[in-house]
Amino acid sequence: MDAIVNDFTLNIATANGTGSQSANLILLDSLFEMGVPVSGKNLFPSNISGLPTWYILRLSDNGYQAPGDRTHIQILVNPATWEEDLDALEPGSVVVWNSDTKNKTVEREDIVSYPVPMTSLARKINPKLAKLVTNIIYVGVVAELLSIDQKCLEDAVSKQFKGKTSAIELNIQALQSGRDYCSENLTKSDPFIVEKRDKTSAQFFIEGNEAVALGSIYGGCQMLAWYPITPSSSIAEGIIAYIPRLRTDEDGKTNLAVIQAEDELAAAGMVIGAGWAGGRGMTATSGPGISLMQEFIGLAYFAEVPSVFWDVNRVGPSTGLPTRTQQSDIAMLYEGSHGDTQHIVLIPGTVEECFEFGWVAFDCAERFQTPIFGLSDLDLGMNKWACNGFEYPDKPMDRGKVVREKDVFEAFETFGRYLDVDGDGIPYRTLPGSGMDPILYRGTGHNPMGVYSEKPDDYHNLMARLKMKIENSRDLLPEPLMREEEDADIGVIYLGSMENSIQEIDDILLGMGHKVNQCRIRALPFHSKVEEFIRRHKTTVVLEINRDGQMYGILRREIPNDIVTKVHSVAYSDGLPPRARIYANLIDEKLKEVEH
Amino acid sequence: MSERKRERAVKLNVINQPKDSYTGGPSSLCPGCGHDQISNVIISAAWENGVEPHRIAKMSGIGCSSKTPAYYLGQSHGFNTVHGRMPSVTTGAYAINKDLLYLGVSGDGDSASIGIGQLIHAIRRNMNMVYVLENNGVYGLTKGQYSATADVGSKKRKGPANEIQPIDLCALAINLGCTFVARSFSGSRRQLTSILRAAMSHKGFALVDVISPCVTFNNNDESMRSYGYVKDNEVTLHMTDYIPHFDPMEEVEVPEGHFRDITLHDGSTIRLETISEEHDPSDSMAALSALHEAETNKKHVTGLLYFDANKPSLAEDLDLVDTPLLDLGDDEIRPSKDSLDALNAEFFS
Repeated sequence: MDAIVNDFTLNIATANGTGSQSANLILLDSLFEMGVPVSGKNLFPSNISGLPTWYILRLSDNGYQAPGDRTHIQILVNPATWEEDLDALEPGSVVVWNSDTKNKTVEREDIVSYPVPMTSLARKINPKLAKLVTNIIYVGVVAELLSIDQKCLEDAVSKQFKGKTSAIELNIQALQSGRDYCSENLTKSDPFIVEKRDKTSAQFFIEGNEAVALGSIYGGCQMLAWYPITPSSSIAEGIIAYIPRLRTDEDGKTNLAVIQAEDELAAAGMVIGAGWAGGRGMTATSGPGISLMQEFIGLAYFAEVPSVFWDVNRVGPSTGLPTRTQQSDIAMLYEGSHGDTQHIVLIPGTVEECFEFGWVAFDCAERFQTPIFGLSDLDLGMNKWACNGFEYPDKPMDRGKVVREKDVFEAFETFGRYLDVDGDGIPYRTLPGSGMDPILYRGTGHNPMGVYSEKPDDYHNLMARLKMKIENSRDLLPEPLMREEEDADIGVIYLGSMENSIQEIDDILLGMGHKVNQCRIRALPFHSKVEEFIRRHKTTVVLEINRDGQMYGILRREIPNDIVTKVHSVAYSDGLPPRARIYANLIDEKLKEVEH
Repeated sequence: MSERKRERAVKLNVINQPKDSYTGGPSSLCPGCGHDQISNVIISAAWENGVEPHRIAKMSGIGCSSKTPAYYLGQSHGFNTVHGRMPSVTTGAYAINKDLLYLGVSGDGDSASIGIGQLIHAIRRNMNMVYVLENNGVYGLTKGQYSATADVGSKKRKGPANEIQPIDLCALAINLGCTFVARSFSGSRRQLTSILRAAMSHKGFALVDVISPCVTFNNNDESMRSYGYVKDNEVTLHMTDYIPHFDPMEEVEVPEGHFRDITLHDGSTIRLETISEEHDPSDSMAALSALHEAETNKKHVTGLLYFDANKPSLAEDLDLVDTPLLDLGDDEIRPSKDSLDALNAEFFS
């Protein structure tokens, strides 16, 4: 039997709230410590305790980070999904199962079965904590089966329980118990093993939400208003956690106000109030929160108030699947609120970009005097991703066109809040408390002086200027990233967390005979280079994690007519993080359909 | 010479500003609207208190009342926000610039229906602002529907009488622990002025609920919020006088009967002169029972209902640095490169 090294997927089936998360992170981290390219995805229910949860660990020397096509090693601990998980396994798969589970057994002949009395082993170590310890037992068994380095495992345990000596000792004891049981009672009869790899570059694991939190702090965020919602809460909690270290003076006073609002509407109002007052305000929410904020978003657009909104996309519509991932808020963000609107949306695809766009968002908000959206998703936001480190902002803050000094103000021949002095659609503003050009901001129609107006010309000109202002932002926003080779005539446009699956999709497509080039859109309105990318290719597919092809719809409307027919949509979503094979197959079908 | 004499004759306030510095544009409300009287009182109160006009932020929601910030304090920035959501915008602005005087104006539609949640939470946070509620029991801009404060049995100009229990926002505020709760009447200029001046000296949430008759839709004899009805059925808790900290001599005559002086956060005083029975504004039960009794008797009770100087305001809760965040330099709000290097190093270790 040939060994299969560093190229397989583990699926760990447990129940929510049993402490399996820390066991799974220990496993993930120990593999990472060994230099094995690995990614972990937590598929958890919208529930505090009891419902099924799965943790998927993908090891891939190719660096593939999407969940693989299939499970190679199944850990069965949860009786609730026992049969379902078992039936889903392909022949030749491995099952490590808790043989203490009442009325459950594994009878399939075509798979490798490793029964382990996890509960009894755990009880021997600590009867009171048996439920928790059970999880560490399976980590020990898996470590022994796969030859995971003991030192890396112990390091991962220490990291997980930072300094809590008794917890570390208990866990190491449990790991050993798992290992011992395995070596004494089981005979390895599967091909899967892990081998150490040299880390090519230094990396660490971090969640996208924590990266957004840090980026926002380095963006000079001065006010965070938020209302808890999965999967965005950890952005706000991340900011709160770092304030003592990064934004607090020696007297314990902070310069970053945090307000937990009564709802998302109030959170949006606070962000707009902060921007109006001249500060950098933000909120973090998910689709349902953005739905509630619609009215305020229109106000910020029309009254031109800098404001930052992070949307960590979950599955909609309505309450949807609160703990699953999707890219389905694109259209809502781009055209949020009633009336004609158009908003700038920044779309990170990596944790490094989560950090970068965290601070860039504030610069854009103040530069363009408009709401800025950061669009992340549950997959990027709540799973741990390898990070190459965060880069300090490479330019000073852009505070936009704010008139702060009297002499500057007086140098204006005429000052009007909404007067387009520079011809770029961006007017100058003064701040409350300054005494300069005091006006009553309003969501009603206004003339260039900021005075209420229902005159047809005033309205028409205002809307035309707002359009120009946002149009002008296209090439100033983060550029699309391209991976191109000259002989490929198929282009794939994608966005956000699909970054983590695209290379595998690309490789599968190559195997099917399609050589494709990649273009990842990182902002809306999209950059002029996107149009050039489409022109360079015979056929372009827009790949996204939703039902309707929302990005495709936006592109189709905004690109010139002569290239519209070159662009095709491949959109698919089932709530799970994108599995490369599904999307590759859909692209293949689409390309065949186009050729006909 | 006559020119100069006229200039000298202009009365200036404590910061040498004429009252003109506090006025705004012409009103577009119906002639005789109670709201215009309140606007005039706002102008007087701000001028008499010697607040720098540009250091006021005028906040409002949507409705007749919310249009009024255009009619006063023309040197102040303002924000006419969205319906019922002025408190949240004010809260965000306050976090950035806590040194401004936030003067919110709202109506009964804005505050008792669509915006009641935001009002409640601003009170709960003891947000530092003056919240003037121009309360007439009807929706004006949409032409005369009952609002949630319409009294039971009250009848507007058209349609049947209101039979639904009203929301008494003063009672609600007292129950929520609001630190300054007053009710007044747009026709009682003297009382309203001293209450508003006191509200401006308060640190925390000051709710000033002003009965302000709608002359177009709700000023008929059968209405319990008409000028005539309120004049005849107002129960005044006490006479009120405001004595500013900067000029204790501005004091009016020392009253003959019993009186109670309440010291406000800026050192000014509001003097409550007993009329019949003494009302103790630190007693929330007494305030609630005064409201309840008035409601039972189909009366409107006015005066400073409840006051609490000891509750921390939002400023204290946020634990912010002393300098308003607006005035901090970019280097103060963006942590150093060294701090990020240190973080990266920890992550890598």
